[in-house]
Amino acid sequence: MSLALLPSKAIRRSPRPQSLPVLDFLAPNWTSWRPVTQKARIATSAPNTSTNPPSKPLTKSQKEYLDSALRVNQAGELAAVLIYTAQTPPLTRAHPHLRPLMTHMYEQEAGHFAVFNTLLAKHRIRPTAMYPVWSVAATALGWGTALMGREAAMACTEAVETEIGGHYNEQVRVLLEWADERRKEGHTLGAELEELLGTLRRIRDEELEHLDIAVENDAKEARPYELLTDVIKGGCRAAIWVTERV
Amino acid sequence: MATSTRLARTLTRSSLRSLSKPPTTRRYHAADSPPPPPFSPAESAILSAALAHVPANGFTSTSLRLGARDAGYLDASTNLFPRGAFDLVNYYLVTQRLALKDSVQFPAESAGGGARIGVGKKVRTLALARLRANAEVGVVGRWGEALALMAQPTLLPASLAELARLADEMWFLAGDTAVDASWYTKRASLATIYSATEVFMTQDQSTGFKDTERFLDARLEDGMRVGGFLGGVGEWVGYTGHSLVNVLRSKGVRI
Ligand SMILES: [Fe+2]
Ligand SMILES: [Fe+2]
Repeated sequence: MSLALLPSKAIRRSPRPQSLPVLDFLAPNWTSWRPVTQKARIATSAPNTSTNPPSKPLTKSQKEYLDSALRVNQAGELAAVLIYTAQTPPLTRAHPHLRPLMTHMYEQEAGHFAVFNTLLAKHRIRPTAMYPVWSVAATALGWGTALMGREAAMACTEAVETEIGGHYNEQVRVLLEWADERRKEGHTLGAELEELLGTLRRIRDEELEHLDIAVENDAKEARPYELLTDVIKGGCRAAIWVTERV
Repeated sequence: MATSTRLARTLTRSSLRSLSKPPTTRRYHAADSPPPPPFSPAESAILSAALAHVPANGFTSTSLRLGARDAGYLDASTNLFPRGAFDLVNYYLVTQRLALKDSVQFPAESAGGGARIGVGKKVRTLALARLRANAEVGVVGRWGEALALMAQPTLLPASLAELARLADEMWFLAGDTAVDASWYTKRASLATIYSATEVFMTQDQSTGFKDTERFLDARLEDGMRVGGFLGGVGEWVGYTGHSLVNVLRSKGVRI
């Protein structure tokens, strides 16, 4: 529904072909994507995906990796939702034409947050112990940058999405690596992880779309651009580091 | 009584501390492939046989030795269990926790007809079922010994991790899917309430452990009232933090 309100720039970009890993060239071992996607398509078209378990159980370290990666993802999406919630009123008051764009990005973030909430509950992963702290920090960041103006708010989005997009991309790369290893041994990844891979790709593409939107809306004009984006990027990296652990 | 109350206090006080430090044994649960069994066939054979001796011989190395003999193993095979009697306690705790999902069944939500059971009610049912197992297996009279073993400094971390897993299992089976800051406070309060009730039960002389049931209900009610259960401190802080802006906005403050 909100799509109808979007300026043509965003409409042109948003219906990215989601089943095609168009941005996997960002993941270093991109050569391995082809067979995986074919399997993923089969898996997603099957009505009952839960009946296709991996032909070899996950190792302890793989489970630990997923545990911390999904926890970080949930925390990141919580932060994204809160940043946009805090940014929207001051920003759209000053620049009403940004409202559809902000709504579009907010709705996507709310969707991402819901995806990871479901995944955490399903796989019995604890949320980060820093949950209340991140909540306060994200709100302060969103509100603060919105008060600094449109360019600063967009620079905030640009900085956050650069880190987050890279982070999702790293996870896609790891899952592709697992798929590759398994294929060599004649094993499969299983429907659950195929589905996760698809989800991570879709969300990564949407994050990178936010990054494009921010740049098109003069994120680079923010002053002091370097300081602002460096501080926010550093903050994101620190938050990811902490969340991977607690 | 004095000893077990002291133990309970140690357990509950440090359970809060250890829960704030996440247990390292938690991991991604693959929903499509079951986890491997926690004990080897030999361990299971010996420990389950040993458990039958607990009502008479307690959580002791004697029970362990008798169990090994019953299961057809040499006495020396108790070397399998470096933590001695504690391994027997641990076996009991783990198997009872894993048995909960089969011993308590809630009607499917989609079945219609019957009224929906709240998560709080389900948690109560699960806690009672788990407590009742202590009576059914006949370990209630020996539970003081188990607590004494569990509270030993070198074994306390393992005991608390298992207590945390029990609380997590109960919230999971009750269908609680919240993954916000209340995740921690819920598990910490349930672990505290459960272990306090378990200690109370060792002293309960009433028929059918009616007093224990009342004790549990009173603690759960306290939990609801203080808000440690559903509106935990962490959740409150986080919620207040980010909703402060929204509240001010709703009051017409233009921020
Ligand atoms: Fe997102
Ligand atoms: Fe985003």
